[in-house]
Amino acid sequence: MIRIVLLDSLDPSDVAFLCKTLYQAFGLGTEPAGERKLPASAEADDGRVDAVKLVREAGAPKVIADDKILFLCSADLSLEPGPLGEPPCWGFAQQGGERAVVSTKRMPARGVSESSIENFRRRLARESIHFVGHLWELHHCYDARCAMHPSWSPNLPANPEMDLCNFCRDKSERKIRLAKT
Amino acid sequence: MKGHNPRPEEAGSAEGLITEAAVLKAGDRVVYPNQGVCRVTGTEVKEIAGQRLELVRMEREEDGAAVMVPRNKVASIGLRRVASQEYVEGVFHYLAAQYSDPELDWKIRHRDNADRLITGGVLGIAEVVKGLHSLSRIRPLPTKEREQYDNARHLLVAEISAALDIPAALAEDYVDYALMPPAGTKFQLKPPPKPVELPVRLSRRKPIARAEEDIGLEDLGLELGEVAELGEAALGEEKAEGEAVEGEAGETAEAVEGEAGEAAAPAEAPARGGKPARAARKPAPAARKAAPRKAEKARSPKKAAKKAPARKAEKKAPRGGRR
Repeated sequence: MIRIVLLDSLDPSDVAFLCKTLYQAFGLGTEPAGERKLPASAEADDGRVDAVKLVREAGAPKVIADDKILFLCSADLSLEPGPLGEPPCWGFAQQGGERAVVSTKRMPARGVSESSIENFRRRLARESIHFVGHLWELHHCYDARCAMHPSWSPNLPANPEMDLCNFCRDKSERKIRLAKT
Repeated sequence: MKGHNPRPEEAGSAEGLITEAAVLKAGDRVVYPNQGVCRVTGTEVKEIAGQRLELVRMEREEDGAAVMVPRNKVASIGLRRVASQEYVEGVFHYLAAQYSDPELDWKIRHRDNADRLITGGVLGIAEVVKGLHSLSRIRPLPTKEREQYDNARHLLVAEISAALDIPAALAEDYVDYALMPPAGTKFQLKPPPKPVELPVRLSRRKPIARAEEDIGLEDLGLELGEVAELGEAALGEEKAEGEAVEGEAGETAEAVEGEAGEAAAPAEAPARGGKPARAARKPAPAARKAAPRKAEKARSPKKAAKKAPARKAEKKAPRGGRR
């Protein structure tokens, strides 16, 4: 089961679309699990939110084995800089773990037109599939049409697909089949 | 991949290669080639197949799987320390650098990549990831290499995560930030560490067993000398039977070649349906003589194509020299 926890308000129809898409992508039941507050301890001095801390410290609903929690927020997330600098952060997931966060900060504005709302939803769904994929131990994929392709890649089209490639789909299905429950 | 386990000491050694078990103690973090980061939990003595073995016990960090290595094998399996932070930084500089043309022969590429994963250390793993990633820009990777790419990426991420003490997902972001930087990003790159040289690979084909060793003579209770005598005797009988036999001699000779192949390697090429070939069970007299001489020749793959004429000759054999 994938449980979606809102750390900032989001339109219910967007959440419903996301639940449906995640269910189609992984074959797992997906449901909203209420709202929580952004943990104050995760806020950094520069006004951004440390994604790793957020995932670790955010309050979560009760879960049973193999449940995954997806936090949605609109905060500007940051990561600890690496040897070559800080990669752009669209979200963060505990690889093979239980919790992931996706931020809508870098996504196209939701707007009011049908097409802009559609674009926003599709991108939100794509990023959510990406980070839930990490929870199922998927790695980044070189295929730009796959949802596991890095979110900042220059090869990514403006409105990327929200599907997994065959390899990633097979791998996720295998992992889900082998899960405890 | 079977057969792909070059001994690390044959190649240049990766950073932190462990050459003796004595240096390992409980709590050490090591990298087991193709398995990932493990933590040494201690040593224990076990009796396996009647042998008393002293084993180093490790636990794979990823899933807690137990790995046990005999102490005397530690040097040869390529066990090494987790790469240092400075070395890993060099790996990122390698990943972000321009890449030369990838190897286009898939056999060589796959073999070299398998060697790099075992003996190349963390830089070797990065070479595999970068090489296959570059290739994937030209065309999608075939399934086998796609799996190799995913395995290499998994090993690289796990080791970087252990070396820098960061979560695996963050390590993967760093890797892909170096491999696929966002548009307009430029890095101040330093020269990467020197890669480990791959072992010089000799032919790994098994030596061909000598014909007399495995033509099934032992099953018949004969020795090679006796066979030669029998063959000569049979040849004399054939000559005595007259010209009629000669008409079929060509076919019989064909049969001899085909049958000798089967007789020389009964285990390699069993007859269809799991039954041994008739000729392999009871070779024709001429075959008996020719088998040692022809067996070497019969091992060539082309001989498989000659099985059909061999069977034909076999049917005709009772009219001819065979009794």
